[in-house]
Amino acid sequence: MGWAWLILLLATYPWLLGADLASDTLASSSLVFFISGSCLIAPCRRLKRWQAVLFAACLGFLFEARRPIPDGTLALSLVAIAIFLSSNRQLMRNTPGMLRAAAIVNVVACLVWFVASSYASPAAATDLAWHLFLQLLLAGIVGTMGLLPIALTQNAVLDRLTVPPAPDTP
Amino acid sequence: MDQNRQGARASYVALSVFVALWVLAPSAVRRFNREAFVEFQAPALHLLGKSRDLATFWEKKSRSVEEMAAAGRDLARVNAALEIQINKFEDIRRENVRLREITHYNVPAEYMSVVARVATRDSSSWWQRIVIRKGRKDGIRPGAPVVFGNTVVGRVTAVHLTTSEVDLVTSPGFRCTAYLEGDEQNNIVLVNGVASNSLGTAKARVSVIPRDYSLLAGGQPTRVFTTGMGGVFPSRLILGYLDGGTYATQVGNFKESLLVPSRDLYNLQEVSVLVPLHQNPGEALMQGEDFQ
Repeated sequence: MGWAWLILLLATYPWLLGADLASDTLASSSLVFFISGSCLIAPCRRLKRWQAVLFAACLGFLFEARRPIPDGTLALSLVAIAIFLSSNRQLMRNTPGMLRAAAIVNVVACLVWFVASSYASPAAATDLAWHLFLQLLLAGIVGTMGLLPIALTQNAVLDRLTVPPAPDTP
Repeated sequence: MDQNRQGARASYVALSVFVALWVLAPSAVRRFNREAFVEFQAPALHLLGKSRDLATFWEKKSRSVEEMAAAGRDLARVNAALEIQINKFEDIRRENVRLREITHYNVPAEYMSVVARVATRDSSSWWQRIVIRKGRKDGIRPGAPVVFGNTVVGRVTAVHLTTSEVDLVTSPGFRCTAYLEGDEQNNIVLVNGVASNSLGTAKARVSVIPRDYSLLAGGQPTRVFTTGMGGVFPSRLILGYLDGGTYATQVGNFKESLLVPSRDLYNLQEVSVLVPLHQNPGEALMQGEDFQ
């Protein structure tokens, strides 16, 4: 189904909104509750490559829209990750593999937007190593813990859309 | 398997071409794309804000009648006191206008106040922002100051159809000139946000403090006020307090300090946007393509 990626994006959006709400709660600590990387894992197992690419681009643009991040940095990075994941589905054929992928992708994507923002920011980056470490740690934990409920929602939607399940063997 | 590898290679090539096109594309294309994704999210943010308002409404509705009556009585007293003050200030304003006319002094900018509810807050090392539920449709323009009472909250950085983004005082993109309380010479100091590198309250930096400036006696917190210069912020609004005294800069000609916002900026539910009635030069600059 050609529009599966769009329907899946709409189904994933409440999770992104929930992450924004959590970021709102964490605002006084200057940490962002980032889950866009995790949202990419389940679709990359089942969607066609071009669908996964469009889904990843929209995920990135949704995160960037309200934040001073150079246009397209995160979105295009997520697209590159989506191409890699959809070409190497065997890396995510079981739950531990998916969890590992979620943690790595979420941390890498988080690092991308953090560095891109520092490039765009007028302020100098001093003594930020500790804060960056905390942000990446949070992204890793959230990415791993958030994967299962997000993937359950996404798989349920993909089942309804009769998208074929991920193959057990590569 | 080979087909899969070939497909992946073709996708990477296509992505590289797209990245090149994206970089070379006119900024209007990127702006349109950003605006489209912002507007896609706007209804959800409104819904979120309205749900919060509804929760507050039911929480207040659950209070006893006696409690509400007491609150109403207190409010009536405050209103009466404020009415007296308004009349007093109106007299002062007239006198001020008359004197400015006589001396041919610059007329300060006039503002239209737009009250807006806070939809969401977002903060990282590189930005401290709130999103408010008023936008272009309500007359808000980029660069307009955002206040709560007589306290500066920040400045509008991006305006969308029904929402706007506000850079807080502590955000790295925020800059303005200020006076320090107790400085009889009215030396101008600079306030600019800094990248937040701790889990605590974000702070701004106050720089170009004269060497001979001394803090208020008795350990009183020193307030920092807007100057009104540049036409963005009205004068004498409170930006915050100096935190932990002052320290000499590396060159040693001036001192620096940190500024703590006078209110918890992340707990605000409502703010006022002061939209200038006439566009000022700074605002015109902000509408350039690179402003974000």
